[in-house]
Amino acid sequence: MAESQIIVQLKDIRKTYITGDLQVPVLKGINAQVERGEFVGFIGTSGSGKSTLLNILGMLDVPTSGEYLLEDVDVSRLSDVEQATIRNRKIGFIFQSFNLFPALTVEQNIEVPMLYARVPGRVRTKRALELAKRVGLGHRLGHKPTQLSGGECQRIAIARALSNSPAFILADEPTGNLDEKTSNEIMELFHELNREQNVTIVMVTHNPALGPHYDKIIRLRDGRIDDRLFEWEIARQQQLQQQQEAAQ
Amino acid sequence: MMLIRDLVGLSFRNLLLHKLRSLLTSLGVIFGVGSVIAMLAISEGAKHSALAQIEAMGIDKVIVFSRRPPIDGKSESSSENASVMERFGLTEQDRQHISRMDNVERITALFDTRNKILKGLQRMDLKLVGCDRAFLNETAAEIEDGRWFSKIDFDSNAQVCVIGMNVKRKLFTLGDTNVIGSNLRIGDHVFRIIGILDNPYATQLPEVGGQNDMILIPMTTGKILFKDYTFLREGRQFKITRVEYDIFLVKVNDTFFIDNTSKRISGYLEKTHEATKDWGMIVPLELLRQRERTQNIFTIVMGSIAGISLVVGGIGIMNIMLASVYERRKEIGTRRALGAQKSDILLQFLIETVFLTTSGGITGILVGVLIGKIITNYSGMETIYSWWSIILALAISCIVGVIFGTYPAYQAAQQNPINVLRSE
Ligand SMILES: Nc1ncnc2c1ncn2[C@@H]1O[C@H](COP(=O)(O)OP(=O)(O)OP(=O)(O)O)[C@@H](O)[C@H]1O
Ligand SMILES: [Mg+2]
Repeated sequence: MAESQIIVQLKDIRKTYITGDLQVPVLKGINAQVERGEFVGFIGTSGSGKSTLLNILGMLDVPTSGEYLLEDVDVSRLSDVEQATIRNRKIGFIFQSFNLFPALTVEQNIEVPMLYARVPGRVRTKRALELAKRVGLGHRLGHKPTQLSGGECQRIAIARALSNSPAFILADEPTGNLDEKTSNEIMELFHELNREQNVTIVMVTHNPALGPHYDKIIRLRDGRIDDRLFEWEIARQQQLQQQQEAAQ
Repeated sequence: MMLIRDLVGLSFRNLLLHKLRSLLTSLGVIFGVGSVIAMLAISEGAKHSALAQIEAMGIDKVIVFSRRPPIDGKSESSSENASVMERFGLTEQDRQHISRMDNVERITALFDTRNKILKGLQRMDLKLVGCDRAFLNETAAEIEDGRWFSKIDFDSNAQVCVIGMNVKRKLFTLGDTNVIGSNLRIGDHVFRIIGILDNPYATQLPEVGGQNDMILIPMTTGKILFKDYTFLREGRQFKITRVEYDIFLVKVNDTFFIDNTSKRISGYLEKTHEATKDWGMIVPLELLRQRERTQNIFTIVMGSIAGISLVVGGIGIMNIMLASVYERRKEIGTRRALGAQKSDILLQFLIETVFLTTSGGITGILVGVLIGKIITNYSGMETIYSWWSIILALAISCIVGVIFGTYPAYQAAQQNPINVLRSE
């Protein structure tokens, strides 16, 4: 195994929503870490706090307490502008409902993060074409999102997330709105990106069937990490053990 | 800079995405700017034509005129049958004196013969006026047909006349081609018509009236035939009026000395015409200045009224932009997630509003020009579109966008990205 480089470190992250007199504790002390190049899945039932945690990872939300280190930097010390810059350069966001901009063409959609990075127009155009080709939609650059299918939209959203070559992709149920076949294609695309470009991916899902795709799974249950393993994880570990034994 | 260009492109695309809404949103600004443009054009036009009329009187002149002095109690109580001898107004002596003043270049005089002009039995509102030969050059009038008086006409006291446009209209039938050369009979005298005069501004002279309503004869002829005396019968009463001159057009060699010269003239006349106030004075330059002042106030008032509709339009835009911020929370959140700074969001919405108001402003300018053209067509009012009014309208619509776009843009920038991402 290569030297382990920790990109994300969460220390006792807690999040409590306060609505009126009511306090709703959503995250009750999360300790976790993600290594560079890992493909991590957050699995948990609906309402278990997955999106909340992902938003904290993306610096869109702040934890009530606890420490979040991104590449060894405590993000709570960063200014608004610095956080936005990190979101722009280091993080790629992917949403369940794609969140493409309907007024813009596919090409312009892909260019948006580059726009905020002040990348010159000609470079943007070139990169957009490159990325569209990478996700298999090089011929749809001039189309509007409304002219694309769900799977195609998500591919464009992935291309957009990749436009500033982020080290880290945050995806909130990216296949939640897609059928099984398309889901598998999209998951395959994530795998390829993870392998080829060594992008770290943190993906949220409530679908345990996607479990086998991930290198590591963090299971959330009632605001805490659940250490119990899935059956397939036990099976996989046994398999690995057998391989090691065979090698010896 | 690069971002601004892209944001302008983005606003344009957003505008096209909601064509009808964009149009309705900017309607207030369109009509606001339209009315600013139309009002400025109308008031500029009014100013222009009013000033042109005053200018046609000659801003290098002081106009002095004779005027019947106010009737005092004594002459009223005199017996009914008594004939009254009235003598007033400007005299040859005044003329001599004024023409010797500093800075006075020339005096052109008019003398109203006070004859009744009849067409059949009907009295016409026309005047038979003796004038100096320089009169034509001293006014905005032009010879429309025929010729002006020659020196010989003056020297020989010729019985010739030049008639104004309205005289021709009132005394001759339409399409009469033999006006020039025909004879005009006034009282016991006959005058041959040698020319027709047209003053396009229809300049009015005090007491004597419009230039186009005059039958002009040489001053020399007039003095000989009518002797400064006018006999008028009013009921059983005879009235003899003696007026030497009715109008002096005093030309001053430099407009710089107008104020000074007019003061000296009035000082002199006050002294010599001590007993009665039988004269008056008009200084066109002074009128011009006054008129300009009142016109400017008028323009400001009109502009302000139109400006209010712009403010109303701006508030409408602000309202809709605020609604649009709420509606586009998801877009804002997504942009923040993709790395937009708060300032990027602020700029985007601000540019969008300014784009909306400015394109509304451009449309408004076209609408304003159209309104002005329609008004000119139906009312004949002159409209003038100045460059500054168009630039002003553009600047105003831009500023309206900045003023009313800042608050919605600030609201957009302050949206909490998680809340907006959750709101599906
Ligand atoms: N702004 C808020 N105020 C109060 N409670 C909130 C707020 N946002 C989220 N919650 C609560 O926090 C809990 C976790 O929400 P979260 O969206 O993180 O769940 P999730 O695991 O992503 O669920 P799902 O799989 O349905 O997306 C939910 O019970 C939700 O009601
Ligand atoms: Mg969720």
